[in-house]
Amino acid sequence: MRSFILILLSSNMFSLLEIEIIKGSDNLSKVAFVPFGIEENLDENYGLQISTQIEKNMLLFGEFENLDKAEMLSFPSSEEDFYYRDWKIMGVDYSVIGKINSINMLGNLNISYSLFNINRRIKILEGEIIGRENNIEGIAKIISNRIYEKITGLKGIFDTKLAYIVNSDAETFQMCISDIDGKNEQILFTSAAPIMSPDWSPDRKKIAYVSFENGLAEIFIQDLASGERESIQALGMTNSAPVWSPDGKSLALVVSFSGNPDIFSYSINNKRLVRLTNHYGIDTEPSWSPDSKKIIFTSDRSGSPQLYEINTQSKRKKRLTRDGNYNARGRYFPDGKSIFFVHGNDGNFQIATKKLSSRFIETLTSTSLDESPTISPNGNIIIYATKDGSKGYLGGITLDGKSRFSLPVKNGSVREPAWSP
Amino acid sequence: MNKILISLNTFALILLFLSFTFSIFSITTLKVDEIQPIKVNFFELIDIAEPPNRVSVVKPKENINEADLIKTQESNGVKNASGLEKYKINKPDIKKELSKIKLSKEREAIIKISAIIQDKISSVWIKPNSLSKILVAKVLINLAPSGEVLNFEMVEPSKNIVFDESVLIAINKMSFFEEVLGLERKLFESNFRNFKLVFKSSGEIE
Repeated sequence: MRSFILILLSSNMFSLLEIEIIKGSDNLSKVAFVPFGIEENLDENYGLQISTQIEKNMLLFGEFENLDKAEMLSFPSSEEDFYYRDWKIMGVDYSVIGKINSINMLGNLNISYSLFNINRRIKILEGEIIGRENNIEGIAKIISNRIYEKITGLKGIFDTKLAYIVNSDAETFQMCISDIDGKNEQILFTSAAPIMSPDWSPDRKKIAYVSFENGLAEIFIQDLASGERESIQALGMTNSAPVWSPDGKSLALVVSFSGNPDIFSYSINNKRLVRLTNHYGIDTEPSWSPDSKKIIFTSDRSGSPQLYEINTQSKRKKRLTRDGNYNARGRYFPDGKSIFFVHGNDGNFQIATKKLSSRFIETLTSTSLDESPTISPNGNIIIYATKDGSKGYLGGITLDGKSRFSLPVKNGSVREPAWSP
Repeated sequence: MNKILISLNTFALILLFLSFTFSIFSITTLKVDEIQPIKVNFFELIDIAEPPNRVSVVKPKENINEADLIKTQESNGVKNASGLEKYKINKPDIKKELSKIKLSKEREAIIKISAIIQDKISSVWIKPNSLSKILVAKVLINLAPSGEVLNFEMVEPSKNIVFDESVLIAINKMSFFEEVLGLERKLFESNFRNFKLVFKSSGEIE
């Protein structure tokens, strides 16, 4: 009997209550962006400009909350003046401080910065950067990327760009690119005929898109530095939906011979076209997997638009979606394990995601006419085109659904965003 | 002298053998749920945390203990019996039934406090976004009877730095679980003096 009691006790000694926590808070991390300090005899504005710019970047996609400067109890610029309690009391999770140490004869600023984790009471990042005084925005982007990376574990995206089509009136179509915050917009090409499907080359030096300027859908590759355009003139009646392979050597595209669109791979160097699908149904909207081994595409071969995947070597195909009667414009996540696409349901078209290992899809957006989703290179944010009445604008959402935002309104309808690598 | 020692040894060995055999037989008659480590999972907590009127329209009272019942049925090897059958008094042993009721009441109290702790932690845990990986980190919490967090230690990290850091930040924000104050001391000591928080990035099973 005694041995039995011992067994019972010993088993109880190691059995601890376990409480599972799966749901996280809907709150955002609160970050204090303290105006950067300056050494004597330097322009005061630099300090405020750089911290304000970092703050703007970090708040761009609604992923963080900030502490208003008026509420700050102190303005430390070095670790010696930094007191955790000043920030803990304001509910701050992270504080960014910094200092402009010097400026040399060439106008180069020497800036140091630090990031503190208030709850853990530790400094988690410190760095020094040298940059030109007329490039405060560029310096702020580099610092913002490092801070973002340290807090989220994801690659910073503040130096990325966005390509999109602006349709200012019925007869003006513009192929544009801008910084991800909407600044420094450049018009690459203007046409009276529709422009569609922009896609960035992996090195960010070129953009491929479809233009109807010669009456039929034709694919052009435009060099961003020189502005030169080149038509790829693949065979067939129409060429559309170009997408660069991750190695930059090929384009996946749609070629229509006698009105039947199929997916092809086009080698840019030797201009060779390789057929990937051959079906009497419409096959369109191809996109490469990150390892270049597979291509996702939309096909109505089952009677309604659904997503399929084809292995570019074995040509083996696999149906990926079965929910509802409209799933189109599929793209892989940067890790290749999930896809995002447009899911249609009762006349509503929303952005949805699906893990390839799972049967279930998850709808992300709540607007009803969403199209052309594009994902940030770090896989955390999706920007898509949607409509307010007849005017198109760009909306965005973080994958955890905590933040929804819309990008600054342009003069005209904005469509088909493409996030640069 | 030696003979006496040998016979004493033999006697002791026989006794040991008998007690061992007896303990093996007694284990099989034990209710597993009396010694099983308690794991309060997310879904069980949701049952408790959700307003009861959501489900009670159809099944009054039955719902709360459903998870318990299923567990007990499985551990007894009774797969097809309905949940309520467990509570039918078939045996004359009233004492046993009373202790069962006490156990289930204790378990209910533990689950209720666990639900509050879970809510509190959930409200401060800013979960990093990780769509493709399922991560798990376990933290051992050491409480004073006043509910004060005396100590905590990440006993099983997920090895994803950002995920583990988010967990540590959340626990750093908690200094008290005063809900344990109302608990019987015995229950506190056996369940909440030391307990584990299991943080999961997703409810899915990989």
